[in-house]
Amino acid sequence: MRSPLRLERRLEQPKRLNWVIPLISLVAALILGAIVLWVTGKNPFEVYQRIFERGFAGRRVFSDSLVSATPLAFTGLCAAVAFRMGLINVGGEGQLYMGSLAATWVGITFDNIPTGLMIVLMAVAGMSCGGLYAGIVGLLRARFGTNEIITSLMMNYLAAILLTYLVYNSFSYWRDPVSGNFPSPRAITQRAEWNTFAIFEIGLPIAFLMAIAMGFIIWFIYKRTRFGFEVGVIADSPKAARYAGIRTSSTIVLVMGLSGAMAGLGGAADVGNFRRYMDPKGLELSGYGYTGIVVAALARLNPIASVFVALLMGGLNNAGYSLRGPDFPSGLVGTLQGLILFSAVAGEILIKYRVKSNSRPSEAVAA
Amino acid sequence: MKRTNKKFAPMLLTVAIAIGLVACGDDDGGSSSSEAPSTDAPAGEVRSSAYVPTGDPMDYFTAWEELPAEAGGLDSSPVIDCAPEEGPLKAAWIYVGPINDGGWTQVHDEARMAVQEHFGDAIETTYKELVPEGPQALQTIEDLIADGNTVIFGTSFGFQDQFIEAAAAHPDVCFEFATGYKSAPNVSQFYGAAEDTDFLTGMAAGAASATGKLGLVSSFSFAEVVRGVNAWTLGAQVMNPDATVKVLFIQSWFDPAEERKAAEALLAEGVDVLGQKGVDSPSTGDVAKENGIPWAGYNKDQSANYPEVWLTATAYDWSVYQIPRLQQVLDGTWVAGNYYGTLKDGFVKLGKYGALVSEQTFAAIEARLVELAEAPGSEFTGPIVDNQGNEVLADGVSHTYAELMSMAYLVAGVEGEL
Repeated sequence: MRSPLRLERRLEQPKRLNWVIPLISLVAALILGAIVLWVTGKNPFEVYQRIFERGFAGRRVFSDSLVSATPLAFTGLCAAVAFRMGLINVGGEGQLYMGSLAATWVGITFDNIPTGLMIVLMAVAGMSCGGLYAGIVGLLRARFGTNEIITSLMMNYLAAILLTYLVYNSFSYWRDPVSGNFPSPRAITQRAEWNTFAIFEIGLPIAFLMAIAMGFIIWFIYKRTRFGFEVGVIADSPKAARYAGIRTSSTIVLVMGLSGAMAGLGGAADVGNFRRYMDPKGLELSGYGYTGIVVAALARLNPIASVFVALLMGGLNNAGYSLRGPDFPSGLVGTLQGLILFSAVAGEILIKYRVKSNSRPSEAVAA
Repeated sequence: MKRTNKKFAPMLLTVAIAIGLVACGDDDGGSSSSEAPSTDAPAGEVRSSAYVPTGDPMDYFTAWEELPAEAGGLDSSPVIDCAPEEGPLKAAWIYVGPINDGGWTQVHDEARMAVQEHFGDAIETTYKELVPEGPQALQTIEDLIADGNTVIFGTSFGFQDQFIEAAAAHPDVCFEFATGYKSAPNVSQFYGAAEDTDFLTGMAAGAASATGKLGLVSSFSFAEVVRGVNAWTLGAQVMNPDATVKVLFIQSWFDPAEERKAAEALLAEGVDVLGQKGVDSPSTGDVAKENGIPWAGYNKDQSANYPEVWLTATAYDWSVYQIPRLQQVLDGTWVAGNYYGTLKDGFVKLGKYGALVSEQTFAAIEARLVELAEAPGSEFTGPIVDNQGNEVLADGVSHTYAELMSMAYLVAGVEGEL
């Protein structure tokens, strides 16, 4: 039996689809979510109103969303940078941990330098450490053709075990020396705490500004430089790239390094701007690295869009915590978040394909 | 934009993989029938302890101003009026795990429901589950306060710094924190003598072992947990003087996959009884059930779900403390301080005794239970030697409360290190 509808590849993709389809996807997600809420006996309008109130509206909740969004912006950038070249780096989680590790070391060690310099040092340390950690994955892929999905994922676990060891299983530099019976992480010096600017009473973390800047820098690199052009060629056809004389191996390592540097900067930001110490358990529970993949996917791998999608996810995340409780199971929150992702991904197909009716094949009418 | 599209299929796959790996699967394997080696015959039926707690929980509560500085004491701990002008008192619980974890968080939520049932319309309770430690915890507290909650209960050690921070910003909100140690004029700490019930649980485990080699899955080498590990071992040695306990610290409060791995590793080392301390899921019990090995649980009575292997467990009733404290809020007499509950007031208790526990062991545990209810912590009475061979307590000497709270050694017979 033939299906009444079929997908046909679009010969050209009108530019307006790039924003029309995501918008339709979002509306579709809201409608699907409303049905689920209605079936489970909730008033969809009340729930959506609360999501808006607790995720975005108001100075306090918006400040909170910025806090939740900042690490996601960096892990989103991490995923976008690598995925654009077809490198599936799912190691943002571990690369963020390594960034946190390096930045914490800087924050504890240098206690007598101005805050501005401290921020730069911590950021550079986080980026380098995260970048190097991801670079290992890139090197393995470039030299030995190992699957970067598996290696980057495995290295997430390695990083988690390392951080846990440093705080809970050893008397390392990262463990608070006075926390004898209650192993706890050592805080960075007060000088090392990053600024949060108050703008119209909204707390704007300096790290979020960095994320916006990084979004633009990466957009520039990918759109306006020779390196970015080469990355694009490799993404389209590695073979063609090699024929054209592009050094694919070193590009793989560089892109992985850049990707990891973004996550590493996220780790530095988490320590400097918010947490003040390297917190293995808190980081593991937050899962910024994995959510970053979703952020990049929703942003359609656009680095600038990633930062703002992160804000949306941060707000939704906070609204989710606000919703869940005795009369609102956490599974339902997950269902709503899943529907948004599902719709976004479904919309992606509509950008690439058009839906055609199969009933009168000779006429080929667009549905 | 065009070239990015084709990467979507692998990306989706990746997202699916990531989500799949983050979630932990828990398949319930078939269980084999078990034969419990025991010094005398298993009773063959599940029994409850005959002990009825009669103590007043508030006898075990001390205001901060009455405590010395090294125990968290403060110059003053004034009455905090956190009851609303009108309408029901709103109280909220913040959990690190899911409410159906089969252990720690579930027991906390059962206490919340008991509180709700006790007060009816006078109090409105709510909770937030799966809250990550760090900035999210602080935001969750702020969100709950914005919702009108004026009593906040924290149930994971990792929330402590956020509680202290939030308490300073909201001096008119009452904060109640479980298992921490930091004090503030509006932050109380509450916990209890789980080491006493851990000791009794260890007795059941020791009696169930034929080889005298026991295994214990544990969380962190925090004093609270170390106390439990030591008490459990001392209990096992009461029934079996040569008993040794292999302990593995998994560095997590709740990680069913890691708990399972640790339990399997202990089995591979040849232990014939499994126990757990400080870890929240019943994964250790799953491993015990699959292998027909007696199991002593933690947090919650699981005799109904694991009847073939169940021994007993430390169980908490957090509402024993929470109900009188919330009554104080309603009465306008709440002050912050430290609470350390006992068997006598019913804060800690033993789960049901499993069918594997013999009459003889049952009687021995019950007798010891009554003693411990009157003298909490008395299982730590010398002579006690640590597992490095150093004498810790001379004959007849017991630990002080402060020593119990800062315990940092493992008793002889524990195979493991801090």
